[in-house]
Amino acid sequence: MRERDRREVIRDEPLMHAPIRRELAGGPLTVPELAERLGRPPEEVLLWVMGMRRYRQVVEVPDSDDEGYFRYQLVASDEEVLA
Amino acid sequence: MKFDALVVGGGIAGMESSLKLADMGYSVALVERQASVGGRMILLSKVFPTLDCASCISGPKMSSTVNHPNITTFTTSEVEGIRRQSDGTFAATVRQRAKYVDWSACTGCQDCEVACTVAVPDQFNYDLAARRAAYIAFPQAVPKKAVLERAGTSPCTDACPAGIKAHGYVALIRDGRYEEAFQLILEATPLVATLGRACYAPCEESCTRGDLEGTLPIRRLKRFVADWHYATYDGPGVEPAAPTGQRVAVVGSGPAGLTAAWQLARRGHAVTIFEAAHEPGGFLRYALPEYRLPRAAVDQDIANVTALGVEIVVDHPVDDVAGLRAAGYDAVVVATGTPLAQSLHIPGEQHAGVTSGLAFLRAVREGESWDLSGRTVVVVGGGNVAMDAARTARRLGAAVTVVYRRSRGEMPANHVEAEDAEQEGVSFAFLLAPAEVVADAAGHASAVRCQEMRLGPPDASGRRRPEAIPGAERVVACDLVISAIGLRPDGDAFAALSHDGSGALVADPTTLATALPGVFVAGDAVTGPSDITRAVGQGRRAAHMLDRWLRGEPLDGFHALDDRLAVVDHAAVLARQRTHSRRDPAVSGIDFSVTPHDFAELEPALTEVEALDGVSRCLDCGVCSECGACSRVCPADAIHLEQHDEMLDLEVDTVVVATGYELFDAYQKPEYGYGTFPNVITATEMDRLLAPTRPFNTVLRPSDGKVPERVAYVSCVGSRDRTVDNPLCSKICCMYSIKQHQLIMGALPLADVTTHYMDMRAAGKRYEEFFSQGKDMGATYIKGRVAKIEEKDNGDLRVFYEDIENGGRVVEAEYDLVVLSVGVRPNPDALHLFDEEDLAASEFRFVAEPAGDHSPGRTSIPGVYVAGASSGAKDIVDSIMHAGAAVAQAAATLEVAHPRRRVPLEVH
Ligand SMILES: Cc1cc2nc3c(=O)[nH]c(=O)nc-3n(C[C@H](O)[C@H](O)[C@H](O)COP(=O)(O)OP(=O)(O)OC[C@H]3O[C@@H](n4cnc5c(N)ncnc54)[C@H](O)[C@@H]3O)c2cc1C
Ligand code: SF4
Ligand code: SF4
Repeated sequence: MRERDRREVIRDEPLMHAPIRRELAGGPLTVPELAERLGRPPEEVLLWVMGMRRYRQVVEVPDSDDEGYFRYQLVASDEEVLA
Repeated sequence: MKFDALVVGGGIAGMESSLKLADMGYSVALVERQASVGGRMILLSKVFPTLDCASCISGPKMSSTVNHPNITTFTTSEVEGIRRQSDGTFAATVRQRAKYVDWSACTGCQDCEVACTVAVPDQFNYDLAARRAAYIAFPQAVPKKAVLERAGTSPCTDACPAGIKAHGYVALIRDGRYEEAFQLILEATPLVATLGRACYAPCEESCTRGDLEGTLPIRRLKRFVADWHYATYDGPGVEPAAPTGQRVAVVGSGPAGLTAAWQLARRGHAVTIFEAAHEPGGFLRYALPEYRLPRAAVDQDIANVTALGVEIVVDHPVDDVAGLRAAGYDAVVVATGTPLAQSLHIPGEQHAGVTSGLAFLRAVREGESWDLSGRTVVVVGGGNVAMDAARTARRLGAAVTVVYRRSRGEMPANHVEAEDAEQEGVSFAFLLAPAEVVADAAGHASAVRCQEMRLGPPDASGRRRPEAIPGAERVVACDLVISAIGLRPDGDAFAALSHDGSGALVADPTTLATALPGVFVAGDAVTGPSDITRAVGQGRRAAHMLDRWLRGEPLDGFHALDDRLAVVDHAAVLARQRTHSRRDPAVSGIDFSVTPHDFAELEPALTEVEALDGVSRCLDCGVCSECGACSRVCPADAIHLEQHDEMLDLEVDTVVVATGYELFDAYQKPEYGYGTFPNVITATEMDRLLAPTRPFNTVLRPSDGKVPERVAYVSCVGSRDRTVDNPLCSKICCMYSIKQHQLIMGALPLADVTTHYMDMRAAGKRYEEFFSQGKDMGATYIKGRVAKIEEKDNGDLRVFYEDIENGGRVVEAEYDLVVLSVGVRPNPDALHLFDEEDLAASEFRFVAEPAGDHSPGRTSIPGVYVAGASSGAKDIVDSIMHAGAAVAQAAATLEVAHPRRRVPLEVH
């Protein structure tokens, strides 16, 4: 059951960047795993992760969907790559 | 502007019409509402029955359209009205909405999108995913240029008299960019810590969230970033422009003077502030009580100004502005505020024990020791100074009564200040006007004799006028009378400047220039008593105008306050969502004491958790927050927030309407759970999930990102259905569903695809073969309607359907994802494009073709043609053919009207 209007969920995406980055810093996670750690509905977490994916902050681990869910990881920023 | 033809709508039919007319040598104006041409086709994955890539077919047409020498494309534009003239030609008014990006400079690099602080649903992905308020429509957009989505000025920003982008700093905080938020406020004023504490926050009064469970703590968020900045950095972190070599004197160091000096110093001028008092800050230091605005906060803010090299000369009253010019200052800003207290004009006012609110507050601020324990104080007046004086007297131990001649509702004090005063034990006596200060034998005030009043009709200020009740008097005993009935500027201080009867200096209200060349005025000295934020706005304005004067430029262009977009309407903001979840503010308030006894700052700072909770409640009213992040990163300097919509007048000989179709709103079939069950999506959404530019990494179900294994289609949703007033077949749904089945099976080899259909309409070239191909690939087709859909706890869906081929019983099946093959509805816009007569509509509200059988594309208005799905459901092939039919007739009209107008063109 959808809990919140999609526009409201999407509006939260910038606010969720830092918590999502913190969780993914420990390694790639699936959307349900991230949702559990963040204590937020997986439907909302999917919207945030896909927003971050669109702007190249996270990316899926290729072929990681054996269990039916892809795992997502952080994309190193230019500064991190150079460091 | 003159063109041969106007084409409305830049989808496949509109592009095809434009290209054909342009190839014939006619000049075409193509008007498209979105930021790119391409319509719905460019958003498709592949096209049936060839399974060619939609972008590969559409892309070249899009760029040919936009680059054709005979086509002028107006994107982000809408036809406001078309009038048919008596000679049979047409006059069209087109609104070209501002893009806020200079497209001739934009390179399409997307840096602005990445920097943008506002996330909104992406209409080009049918809201399945987010985009930013700064966006390029989609990856294959033509032109591939950025646009900012702005619905207007957000109410908080609109309400700020200082022109501070309140929504902007809220959005930056939400994005964790505290320093940028601080810098955004610094663009307006150096007084960040001050306003974060002592502003009366008109932004909060206007905040749309106030219509739900309560406003955002916009003012306290400002304090949050100020505290954060001052704890993290030394200095403001602002580099002034290269020195201009020009010197400016600022007289007065209150908020108007400090802000003017700050703005002028940023622009590279050498600024000296002359201040009469012993320390800078004006009322910030000498009137506002420490418990509301600690001295340390004022000092932090003033240090921003001196960090830019502004010299502050204290103990230096100025009375000769012309002398300053003669002493080598190229220009002067006078910002001396309202230093004089209004007199009570009653007998006994001269007694000892009578003082003005201003003198009292200043004395306390300067550290004079006042012990009012056990004393009674009468404060006369109902404004903010009266509230500050009353609460200060409470802290010094006094019992305090505020005497005000009107009633509570007319009190000019900010209602928060009055409520806070009450919480601190201040008493109010309303409808009492002081008539005399009574003195004891030693000549010291001992009581105020008051006249009782009642409210009469409203006066010029709109407030009800107090009238004396004959013979009704009351005597209020006291030890100290503080008169706080008003302040006024000292108009006589400057012989060279003129002033009005209230003492306010006279200047042009827009430019703040006085009659003396190079002398500008700002703040309460011009406006009379106002507040810090208004004074800041004035300081900004004066600095802007003075800077232009020094550069020899016209005194205009003050975009910060004079050129804002219209404020967005609360109702329109709230209507963007179907539901709003309740998010009670989680901020710590003030612990009031009825017997306050010290001057420690009252209001606690927001914790980071509280600040983030606060910003999470923002509704992004104006959509773009005006945070400026895009402008700061744009390498092409292409962002221009001051752009405006433009109205274009076009004269044309013929019009082609190609506004396309709308999709059936699946919310109208609640039995299928669209909008309630995340895993029920529409086929348009599925087309996006299958497209190369898809919003997810592959087809995933929206409830949890699972790769679906069991996918069901429900066909004819909103088509052939009288319950939703649409008995028509939408023609395309069967074929696009079969297309998607094949694509899903290609993308997800393990997936099973089942379609629940009524009957399969495969009438078209190679369509029946296409259907067979779907079946051969393994898709299952079950004849019978779906009655309802239910959701399981894990997001899976239970579909209850009628199985006609097996006796018509109701069967239940489970799926991971259900796709509704929604039908086509008319786009009502098409019918209302014309001012004096509507285009005739068909029975089902598509554009009518009265002679459709032998003249497809001809409408009810001579010279107006319709192309594509505007006149009824059509697939791409039919849309292109229909466009051909419409344009052939449009060309005939043009040929008859102006045989010589054709521009010869080489067609390849
Ligand atoms: C899920 C789905 C899948 C499909 N798959 C296929 C397929 O595989 N093959 C196929 O042949 N067909 C398919 N179709 C049908 C196809 O999308 C249409 O045939 C085609 O887009 C019709 O083109 P059009 O130009 O008439 O309308 P549109 O593509 O809708 O274009 C109309 C344009 O006009 C603009 N506009 C609207 N109002 C105004 C206004 N007042 N002022 C200015 N501009 C305005 C719109 O923004 C839009 O750009 C599919 C449809 C759906 C829903
Ligand atoms: S950052 Fe500038 S150049 Fe790049 S897409 Fe945005 S507006 Fe265009
Ligand atoms: S909801 Fe946000 S944008 Fe709207 S008025 Fe309030 S703070 Fe401003």
